[in-house]
Amino acid sequence: MLIPEEKINIQELLKDLEHYHPRRKGWTWREKIENQKLSFFKYEDTSKNLKHSLSLPASRQMFNLDPQPNPVITVEIASGRLEDDIRRMRMAAWHGADHMMVIRTLGQSHFDGLIEGTPEGVGGIPITRKQIRATRKALDLIEDEVGRPINLHSYVSGIAGPEIAVLFSEEGINGAHQDPQYNILYRNINPLRSFVDAAEAKLIMSHSQMLQIDGAHNANATAKHGFMVMPELLVQHGINCMYSLRVGMDSRYIALSTVPPSAPPFPALSLDLPYAVAVRELFSDFRFRAQMNTKYIESCAREATVNHTLNTFISAICGADIQSTITPDEGRNVPWHYNSIHAVNTAKQTLIACDGIRNYLEFKEEGPFREKVRELKERAVLFLEEIKNIGGYFKALEAGFFVDSGYYPERVGDGIKRPVNGGNGANSIILRENDYLAPVCYHFGDNHLPENIEKPCDLIDGCSMCYPGKIQYIDELDEVDNVETRLSQYQKTEKEHLFKPEVQWRNDGIVLLSLFLPLPEKKVVPAARLMAQKLGLINVEVIHKQVLHPAEGSFVEVRGEVDFYLNEDEIEVEEKIPLLSDDEIRQEVESRGGIKVIAATLGEDEHSVGLKEVIDVKHGGIEKWGFEVIYLGTSVPPQKVIDSAMETGSRVILASTTITHGNIHQINLKKLTSYAIEKGVRDQIVIIGGGTQLSDEIAQECGLDTAFGRGTKGIDVASFIIRSLKVKNN
Amino acid sequence: MNDFSKRRTHLAHLSDEELKEYFFKLLEEITEPILSMAKKYTSPSLERSILLRMGFSSLEAQAIVTHALREDLLGHGAGHLVLKYAELNNLPLRDAGLKLASDEGWAELKTFWSRQVKANQEGV
Repeated sequence: MLIPEEKINIQELLKDLEHYHPRRKGWTWREKIENQKLSFFKYEDTSKNLKHSLSLPASRQMFNLDPQPNPVITVEIASGRLEDDIRRMRMAAWHGADHMMVIRTLGQSHFDGLIEGTPEGVGGIPITRKQIRATRKALDLIEDEVGRPINLHSYVSGIAGPEIAVLFSEEGINGAHQDPQYNILYRNINPLRSFVDAAEAKLIMSHSQMLQIDGAHNANATAKHGFMVMPELLVQHGINCMYSLRVGMDSRYIALSTVPPSAPPFPALSLDLPYAVAVRELFSDFRFRAQMNTKYIESCAREATVNHTLNTFISAICGADIQSTITPDEGRNVPWHYNSIHAVNTAKQTLIACDGIRNYLEFKEEGPFREKVRELKERAVLFLEEIKNIGGYFKALEAGFFVDSGYYPERVGDGIKRPVNGGNGANSIILRENDYLAPVCYHFGDNHLPENIEKPCDLIDGCSMCYPGKIQYIDELDEVDNVETRLSQYQKTEKEHLFKPEVQWRNDGIVLLSLFLPLPEKKVVPAARLMAQKLGLINVEVIHKQVLHPAEGSFVEVRGEVDFYLNEDEIEVEEKIPLLSDDEIRQEVESRGGIKVIAATLGEDEHSVGLKEVIDVKHGGIEKWGFEVIYLGTSVPPQKVIDSAMETGSRVILASTTITHGNIHQINLKKLTSYAIEKGVRDQIVIIGGGTQLSDEIAQECGLDTAFGRGTKGIDVASFIIRSLKVKNN
Repeated sequence: MNDFSKRRTHLAHLSDEELKEYFFKLLEEITEPILSMAKKYTSPSLERSILLRMGFSSLEAQAIVTHALREDLLGHGAGHLVLKYAELNNLPLRDAGLKLASDEGWAELKTFWSRQVKANQEGV
């Protein structure tokens, strides 16, 4: 069992993996709760709440609500190391992700067979039996911790599709990409091999109710302009859906991967919305995985986030079963921890904002919107007719029909051409002989089994699909490149409790520096590099630059590495006293027959905005709980403050001040407390200082009970007053 | 050439529902020949996937399929080869597979299937 206050123990997870089997198979959707009542609100499209979660930042002002939208939310996991992937999955789960999409290492799709062990990957991770087992075992713990099933996902693509499908099915992978067209177009794997393998892989996937996601959305990212290939996207979805159905998959487990193809400054919604409706109408019997746009992502994380919000808005109004996320930093580096979490929160925030929106809005049934929807469908039908007329799918491939930048039926002639006998794995399919036999379950196509058996694997006393005990587990093949070796490198730092900041791997030391430099554009990047180096960062790289004005300056973000460790044992704990609840404060104020508070700014200080913020009921100030505030005004002499408190019988003083040259503020605060002592009332009155730069040290030095600085809320002050009065009474 | 308005004329009269039906009918026609090809053919990865399901490791499956390709026997099915070898030598299935993986027994399988072919040719 995981303990929220403790890190997940990777060493522990790796123990006994040879005996681990997944506790369930198949895809899991969220548990929808109709008309869920949370606080004042009735949510229409939310699911069961989590046991442990982290809510959106603004929820602090909203009763810490963390409603969970109905669609499954995906997080991309691509650290390249098993041990770091798992930690990120746990963080993402706490923010609301329940679909862990583990990206494969570069080149795995061309590996003709399975990879074993836990080698490090590039841009993703080598997907292996050990890696899946350790991950699935970790997710079992994580889903118990957050209180919701978590789907693990990877890719049944490449030249080893059927083997990977068996591996995934045996090890309880819950969802996977599978689309032979993806292999052919983007991985240059032989077309015939891709389709022969796909049939077998799909049937195996269907056995364990794995959710299949197709690969059509890649045309968006590859084509010159995403919106030009909209008719083709419908065609690609159609081919994979139909092929999957006819192989034996259930349409409830076939998901289309769809991406809004455009982004501002295109008039994005006018292009994306008709497409979103067309694809959903044509494929109404299937599931939808809505992905965020990657085509138009640059290095600006803000811009990416706005695009991804718009994308999710389309999901909210057109419907989606899964909302996948792209990290806002994908345009500049491999996804960093906190950007994965930002992406999940972008999806959660947008979907919750749009809760119930489909009950309020509908698309116009007549007019240009409807015409656009119809046009897209017709263009897709014409595309299919042309495939048929040219002699079928493989002929169309050879002719370069796909990923052409023309808006079909227009063709530019720059499509990807794949000869039927070309590519990786060319001429590798083999005609089955007349006595071909495969003594296992979930095998597609001709199979000359004897007549007297109930199921194929009776011939071999059961296959691994029916008896997991038959699975052969390989631990490691590489003595050096494995998780144990990597973990052993951390042993020294872990033992000594040393740490560095990180974005991807433990102790990678990477930090991000945000700078505005008042320089002409051409000097900004070298200047930023120099600045980061002078700050002591190494391996410095400018990863984002935005000109704010050609002459006035630019904003830059610099990535660098910290070259030193800190020791956790030497770090002081920031003690945070919990705030009291509204009811506790109100009851205490009532039971005392009201609490009078003197408020003033001291000396020659005319700044009263901050003070009013913590007093006024409309800003959530202390009046809200029934405190009676006597406001003396600005620039009040300290003596007058104490006298007024004594005259009115006030037990609390709020004295506001700004930091001044010559420390006048400190002198005034000291005068206040010493006058109270002189009058013999210091023990009975809670004296609180306030000001943007007041610190605990200054408060102590001046004899105050405490001081509050920037960002203080009424609740902080009210909680402190109640606690202090209780102590003073004793 | 962008001749959409001309090319769509035969679709214009179709209702949305009819257009959708036609879309899926075309897809069925296009996938039909691919599907029949997939039924008749196999591949090294497909055959390794069968061996995995029979309880062999990825390394063992890799070796068996590589040898079967060399001997031009994969068309009978990799699992079939293991079964046959076990039967001919009265071995447990796993032992038979391990022998084939370590490159033993292929001559015997080769002989067995060439006799089969001969027998078929002679009409026996």
